Order: sequence, then C-alpha cells, then structure tokens
Amino acid sequence: MSENNGQDYHLTEEGVREDLQRQPYVLMRLVENAFIVAENLRGNYFENTSKFIKDLRKKILLAKSGESDPIISISNINGANWQEVQGEVVTFIDGGVGQVEISGQIPILLRVGSYAVRTGERNLAEREQFGYYPVILGDLEGGSKERKDFIDIVRITAELLGGLSALKRTPNLRLLMFHGPLMYLMGNYAGHSPFTENDIDLFLRSYAANPQLASDLKNKFLEEARIQIYPKLAPGVDTDMIQKKLFDPLAWMAFLYQQLISEAKKRSPVPIIAGVVERGRLREFSEDVLLERIFVSLRKKNNQNYFNNLFGRTDLKTPGILLDRLAYTDAILMAMLMKPGQRSESWIINKLKGLRTGQTILTGEARATNMDWSILKDPLLGFPKIKGCYISVSDRTEPIRVEVFECLGEQQIEEAAKRAYLYSLLIPGYGFPVGLDVADKFAKVPTWLTNAYSKLIKHHLSVSLQKGEIKDAEMRHLLVQAIYMTHRDWLFRPNP
Amino acid sequence: MPQIATEELPEKLEKQSFVGTLVGESTSRTFRLAVAHETIREQDIIAVDVDLKSTEQNSIKQKTRLWAKVQQIERINPLFPVEAGHELAETRTSPFDTVLSLSREMVTAVCQVLGSEPIDGSAGGRLDHVRYPPQPASQAYMPNSTDLERVVIGELGTKQSRALDIATLSNRPSVTVKVDGHAIVSRHLAILAMTGAGKSVTARRIVEQLAERNYPIVIFDPHGDYTGLADVEKLKGKVQRYYAEFPVFEEESETVAKVVDTLGYELTPTMQGVFDDVFYAAKQFFIEDGGERKRREQWLALLLRRDTIEQYGIKQDMWLVGYLAEAGERIVQMKADNEGDWQQLETQLQEWGWARIDTYSRTDKRTIEGIKKRVFKAAAALKRMETTNKKVARSANPLPINRLELVKYGQISVISLAGYTGNFQATIYTIIANSIFEAKVRDELKLPVVLLLEEAHNFVPGKALTTAEERSIAITKQIAQEGRKFGVGLIMVSQRPSRLDETALSMCNSYIIMRMINPADQNFVRRVIESLGEDEAKMLPDLDVGEAILSGQLINFPVLVRIKKSESQGEREEEDAFVALENAQKGLEMEQTKQNGNSRRS
Ligand SMILES: Nc1ncnc2c1ncn2[C@@H]1O[C@H](COP(=O)(O)OP(=O)(O)O)[C@@H](O)[C@H]1O
Ligand SMILES: [Mg+2]
Repeated sequence: MSENNGQDYHLTEEGVREDLQRQPYVLMRLVENAFIVAENLRGNYFENTSKFIKDLRKKILLAKSGESDPIISISNINGANWQEVQGEVVTFIDGGVGQVEISGQIPILLRVGSYAVRTGERNLAEREQFGYYPVILGDLEGGSKERKDFIDIVRITAELLGGLSALKRTPNLRLLMFHGPLMYLMGNYAGHSPFTENDIDLFLRSYAANPQLASDLKNKFLEEARIQIYPKLAPGVDTDMIQKKLFDPLAWMAFLYQQLISEAKKRSPVPIIAGVVERGRLREFSEDVLLERIFVSLRKKNNQNYFNNLFGRTDLKTPGILLDRLAYTDAILMAMLMKPGQRSESWIINKLKGLRTGQTILTGEARATNMDWSILKDPLLGFPKIKGCYISVSDRTEPIRVEVFECLGEQQIEEAAKRAYLYSLLIPGYGFPVGLDVADKFAKVPTWLTNAYSKLIKHHLSVSLQKGEIKDAEMRHLLVQAIYMTHRDWLFRPNP
Repeated sequence: MPQIATEELPEKLEKQSFVGTLVGESTSRTFRLAVAHETIREQDIIAVDVDLKSTEQNSIKQKTRLWAKVQQIERINPLFPVEAGHELAETRTSPFDTVLSLSREMVTAVCQVLGSEPIDGSAGGRLDHVRYPPQPASQAYMPNSTDLERVVIGELGTKQSRALDIATLSNRPSVTVKVDGHAIVSRHLAILAMTGAGKSVTARRIVEQLAERNYPIVIFDPHGDYTGLADVEKLKGKVQRYYAEFPVFEEESETVAKVVDTLGYELTPTMQGVFDDVFYAAKQFFIEDGGERKRREQWLALLLRRDTIEQYGIKQDMWLVGYLAEAGERIVQMKADNEGDWQQLETQLQEWGWARIDTYSRTDKRTIEGIKKRVFKAAAALKRMETTNKKVARSANPLPINRLELVKYGQISVISLAGYTGNFQATIYTIIANSIFEAKVRDELKLPVVLLLEEAHNFVPGKALTTAEERSIAITKQIAQEGRKFGVGLIMVSQRPSRLDETALSMCNSYIIMRMINPADQNFVRRVIESLGEDEAKMLPDLDVGEAILSGQLINFPVLVRIKKSESQGEREEEDAFVALENAQKGLEMEQTKQNGNSRRS
C-alpha cells in the first residue's frame, strides 16, 4: 500500500474505525458515551462519530494544502531526542495527599515532592536531587476547612512554593515541570478564608535554607497587597487585612505565579515552566477552539445543520450543546485527529472564568466580607495567561496536555511539548513524562501507611490533629515521625 | 552512613556501627531491615537492642540484645520502571542521558532471629529463644568481634578444652569461630562438598586440633590425603602410617574365591568346589609356632622346588593358597604316576589339614592346576595393589596384627587404602572398623576413638552393589547409630553426598558443608540436614574454596565461615603438570651429564 493510499484510507470511515480499534481507551470512552448519550443518539453513535472524524480529518488535510479554511493545525514534534537535551537540569514537582478513612476520607497531610536531575550526568551524587516537604492540614488556621476543596488550595499553594523554591535555588534550571495543570480553574477556589501569617510560615518552612528568603517573600507579598491588590480586592477591609497579616489564598497564589515568572524572565535562556495533565474529561479545547471553528466554517458554507443532519437532531447548534449531547472530550477528539509524535496547535486556556465578586469570612470574624476576585484577572497583577496544547504519545494512551506561561515567550510551548513527549516515550504504556512519576512517588503518602495509622488516629488523634488541637509538641513530633516512617524513607535520605 | 567494619578498623569504631532500621512487620523469627547500600552482606551476623520482658511472667523489662543473621538482601530501584528499561534497550539509549532516576535504590535485608542474650553478655554466649517480635523502627548494628565470638561459640565459651579452632567468620575475618570438638567426636560429623572445595583441608584441620588434645584417631585414607600429617612439626611422633594388606585369611573361602575371580580368571564351577579344600588346606598349613612353620616351609620348598619359600618364609597371603594348590597338584600327579614316595607326602599333607587329598583323581589334578594358575595371577595383582599402597602410604609398616593397636592415646593412625579397588578398600575398612567397634562393645578397648572416612560414599553408599559394600554399610550404620554409647565417633567426608546412605548421614549431628554445584547433591543435603536453612542451601554453589557452612551441634547456630588452612599438606595437592615435566627433564639431563663425566674419567 502506497503512502498515498494509506493517507486516503485514513480519510475513510473504515480507516477511522480501524484507528479506533487500535486505541482501546478511546473505544472504551466511546462505549461509555454511547450509554450516557440520549437514546436516539445511541444507535449510530459509532458510525456517526466515525463520519464526523473522517470529514474533520479531510478538512484538516485540505487546510494544510491551502485548499480550505484551517480548522486546527496539527504538527509533528521535531527534535525529540536525547542528544538535543544533554546537560539540562530539570526539576519535577508533584504534591500528594494522605487520607485517613474516618467517616469518609479525611485528608490529614500533604506532601510535595521534587525530583531534580541533570541529563548526561554520570556521577550519581551530582546527577539527582530529591526533596519533599510535608504540610499537616490540621496545623493551618486559615482556609475554609469545611470546604471540600480546602485540600486543593493547600496543595496548589504548596506545589507553587515547591516550584518557586526549586527555580530560585537552581540557577541553571532548564525546565520546571509540574504534575497537573500549570494553573487550575482559579475561580472555583474563591471564597476561602485567608491564611494567617502562621499558616504562611508553615508553608515556607521548607522553602529555603536561609529563613530570610522566606521572610522576604512573605513581606514582599504583604507590601504588594497593601499597595496594589487589597484595596481593589477588599475595599474597606484592606488595611485591616494588612494589619492582621492575612493572606487571601487566591491573591497569594497569583503572587506566587508572578514570582515564578519574574524569576524566569531574569534568566537567559528563559527556563521552561510547564504543567502536564494526564487523562481527564477536559473539553476546553474542543469547545473554545476546535468546534467553534467548525461551526464558523459550517455557517460560512451554509451547512450549519451538518451535525443535526448527521445525528438526526435539531438542537446541535453550538459547540457547548454538541459536547453536552455527544459527551465528546478533548482526549477523545484529539486522539482521533493526532498520530503519535504529533501535537495540536496551542491556545490560550481560559483559567479565570469564575473570578468575580463574592464573600468570605475573615479569620476571627463572624460576618462575611465582600471581595472582588475579578481584579486577579489582570495578567500583570493577578494570574498570568496560560497557553496549552495536546500531545499524542502513543496509540495506547490518551493525549496529554502541556501548559505554559504565555508571557514567557513563543518558544515555551514548543520546547515544553518536545520534552514532555520525549520523556513520555520511555514509558509508552503509561504515556506520561517519566520524571513526573518519580516526583509523584515522592509526594504520595502510601495508603498502607494511612490505613495502618487510621486505626491509631481514629482512637486518639485524627480529629484533634485536624482541628489543630494537639499542642503537645512531643506528641506532634511523634505523630509526624510515625507518619513519615514509611517504607519509602530511603528515598528521603540525604544524597549519598 | 558508617561503612561496614573490617578488621583494619580499630575495635572502637567497629562497635555499634549502625547497619539499618527495622521496617515492616517483624515476627519473633524474622524481620526486615532497611539498610544503606553495601553496609551489609548475606550471612552477616547483626544485633538489635530491644526492651523485652524476660520469659518469666511479670518480670521487669530488661535490655536485651537480639542476635540475627542476614539471610537475604533485596535490592531494587522502584523509581526505574521496567518498561523504561525496554525502551532504552530498543533505542540504545544510556539511562544516564535521560531524566530517569538512577540513584535511589531500596536495599532490604531479610534477617533471621538467632536468639537473645542479656545486653552485658553475662549469659556467656547462651542464646535464649525469642518469643516476642522486636520493635519496628529499632536500629540494627554490627556487633564488635568480642561479642560476636562469644555468641558464635555459645556455651562452648566456658568449655575451652573442647573448643576446636578451625575457622573465621567469612564476612568478618577478625572473628574466630571455634566449634565443639565433643560434638564432633561423640556425635559424628559429615564434611560434604564437591571435589576441590576444601574437604580434606578441613578434615585435616580438625584432625590436627583433635590431636593436640590427644584424641585417638583412625583415618581411612584412599588417596593419601592424610600422609602429610606426619610432616607437621607439632604432630611429630603422633602420626603412624600403615600400608594395608588384604587379609585373605580372615575371609570366607567363597569371598576369596570371588577375589580370585575378579583379579585373575574366572573359576569354573568345578574349581569352585575344589577351591574350598585348597583354601582350607592353606589356612591349616600356616601355623603360628615358628619352629614348626619352618619345618613346613622346608617341606614345601623341597616339594615345589622353590628356594624362595625357604628364603622368605610363608605368610597368610594369596601366594600361600597358590603354593598349596601347587603342592596338591604335584602329589596327585605323583600318585597317578606312582612316582617317588608320594604316599608319605600325601599322608603328611593330610596330617597338616588337607583331609581329602587322597580322594582326588587324575582329572581333579587338572582342576587343582587351574586353581593354582588363577590364584597366582590374583596374588600378583594383589601384590601390585599392595606395592602402590605402600608407596602412597610412604610407610613400611603393615597394619598391626592386633588391630586394637591402632587406637592409642595421642596417636593418629593413617591407614592407606590407595592402590586398592573399591571392594578391597571396603573390605579392609570393614574388618578394621569391626574389630575396633566389637572391642569397644566388649569393653576390651578402653580408649574412645574417632574414625575418619574419606570418600565415605564408597564405604556407605545408599545402595550396596557388592557384598563388600553390604558389610561396610552395615558396620558404618551400626557405628553411626550406637557409636555414641560406646565411644566410637565417625567423621564422614564425601564429594558425592547424594550417593551416601541417608540413615548414616542423618545420624550425624554436625555438618560442615562447602561448595557444591551438583543439584542432586544440593537437594539431598537440603533434605537430609534439618539444621541447614533454605537460604544457606541456596548459597552452596557460590561458596569459595575453603568457605563452609557449619551447622548442627558443633556450633551455636549455622554460620558461614572460612576454614583455616591445615598445617599439613595433602598428597594430592597438585603440582603443575608442565612444571613437573620440566623438572623431570632436568633430572634426566643431570643424570646424563653425570654419566658422561663418569665415562670420560674411566
Ligand atoms: N581453608 C582453605 N583455605 C585456603 N585454601 C584452601 C582451603 N581449603 C582448600 N584449599 C585449597 O583447595 C585445594 C583443594 O582442597 P582439598 O581439601 O584437597 O579439596 P577436597 O578435599 O574438597 O577435594 C587445596 O589444595 C588448597 O589449595
Ligand atoms: Mg579431598
């Protein structure tokens, strides 16, 4: 079969279906979907999906040769080989949560692990550095513990600090890679009570060898908050907040992002800072980019009823509705459009949808205070813009998403994608960058440990520890020791 | 992390050197130790200090030291996915060029609890059973040499007179390992290993140690491995070497007939019938009384026209059987020819014991002649074996007529069996072992004795193929089972343990096991020797020459040791074949020049 025939076959429904069968997880997702979509969509779900993908593939191919409007561009990842990246220092960051089962899963501690490695370094002592630091959730005074996402704001904060700390102490860092999105949908986390200075001190305990640096960071935030942020974020209570040294969690996170960026910008070349997301039901790319463009293109050709005709419906009029009805996700659609070694075009991901006005309860007060988190949408003051793209690593795994800071330059996404792909090639069955699983192992609190200790904790400690009621230093020390006395302790030995 | 203590390190540093932390689940028998890279090796003996109540109820907690042995070390890098290994291989990429983590390995030692003792060592090395697991997260350390020596020797420490200095710990050469000599001499020992592993060296080391304590030892030495004992200064005068003659006249006629069969030509059925007569006649003909024997020798010399008989005299050997056959043949022939005073000769021989000589006819003469030829041939073959035997024995002493003389205070009797084929060796051994054991049973022999059996599988095989073997198995089993009661000990040395008789081997209470590659031997040893652990058994193929696992009653607990070299050398300690050739050639050349010089002078 000639190259061209292969290409043609790729553009037929049969070709698409065969591709699907080679990608078991896509097939699985489609099977799942076929059950959740409306009954009248089920019958020809596969067939129609195949038709849609076939048409889309054709369109993308035509666009490439300039015969048609571009829908999206898909390109090969070039230069993904180890020779190209020798001598680079890379740090991987991940945070993990230890939970104890006491009437539901109660997170009790969190730890952030880091793994730094220099490619090509033969001397093991020089080659790798491991770090981790724990945060016991009960120790924190701020944040809204009753909220399910309390643990998330703690983790995001801790991970950002871990990353910033790694960047600051590694002058020649080439790549800082986070496990998970570089930025979450920040709007979701609005409304948590502020952290206290004590909390921030706890967060900063492992930040730097020199305590002055931690203290500087803290004061820098308070200074910026006083001048720029709090007056707009919390008009009326801003001076009060500064006086009490309260740290609004979102403002604090935004500040940390800005610190990462300004530190990176000082360097030449600018280090790559990226987050890599595996799996998931994300659909932002499909909704905001892919389908949006398809609908525009269809309307141009007065073919806006393409989907309604294909699926025999009348309501498939917007990308959002289409995705709702057909349960497509970025992973499904991109898996069917990309081949291993390819990446999608990049786009600015809207991470700040939910940032708006709202209320929070300041620490130690009974009444709620009005806040306006929308001011954090300012990319210079608040959260920076995030750019992302999808990468196909192998037929056996879902595409992964790479996220970078837009303001760090055009090169970022290209270079991040190249490395994420290269690192993933070492574990194609997992299809995810290899260093991240190392950081992940560091961060993860083993379940056997939390299981074993859950009994103990159930009896004596859990609730009190959560509430920060255990003041006895000796007791706390013992508990922390016990919790960290794991079969992984060898991991945390000082480097040989 | 402190490095493992070695003998160069001063004792102080060695003391309490940390080796790891107890992790996971511990039981009173085993625990796991998270250890730093290369701080510990398999078979190391380590200690953990624990707070446990002693066995009596309600007693107060006391500091105890728990002793354990490292059975197995597991090493993994959990950060290195197997899949990545395949990808690296596929793309020929060095892992160092990637972001894979290579530096973190997880080393876990699986330890077997040996027992516990008071922390001050006041129990003199006696280890108590542990009935409660050590605490997780306890720290384990390398004990110092003094402590180690104490527990390896155990209670034996207080009985130095029976402690034999034969080895050092394999992983800690500064620690001497002494074993219980009493257990060895009274409850039997087996030394098992493949050829070249160091069995004979070990056996000689033990013999030397026993000899220092004047313990009577009788060694059955098929290869001359023990003749070197006599060259050791300390043992001067203590070692007696004997060559062995096959004691024809202590055997049944049938057995001797079989010997003739195997060494000469086969006896026909008719000959076998007559052989009985001939053998009996020879037996009767030999007489202890010197004067009378002289008269008979003269008579025989005259009849057979063999001056040598008168010259050297007769002995109770195969030649004498041949002479008697020849005498019979002659007389029957003379009778048939009515030659000379055959009647007188016939009467004489009858008087001396050949009762039926007068019944033979001319055809019987041919039968007797056939017997004669075959017996002489067998006698010559025996002679050849005996000559080799003497040579290897490096001794002109034949075995004493009274075999109990082999057992003397402070004496090592080495009986050379070299030169003889298996059945002869077995027979010689059987006769001697029987006499000694019977004398002990009847209390005629007062001193205790230990018998050392090299190549024991030839004397105590699992399956007897010949009557000679049947008999040697019987006596050995008997000694193995009852020897302890009567003060007869056994040391069995073998390179083919799987061919050994299982009962005899399992009656041994002490074992020294060395390098062993043959799987059948390994399995056999593992099955028969209860005191040998699974992990120890697995090490057998990897042991060095001279390394051994001691197990059983000779030691407090099984340990991996290096046997100290014996002071004596074995006959077989081989010279390089090519060196030997060059030396021989040099010798020839020297002789040549000497001869040339001589001829020139004359
Ligand atoms: N304990 C030991 N220490 C050093 N070398 C040894 C030791 N035991 C044996 N050897 C070496 O191995 C050789 C063979 O030993 P030997 O006892 O004759 O083996 P085996 O009787 O098992 O066939 C010896 O000549 C000696 O060189
Ligand atoms: Mg030998």
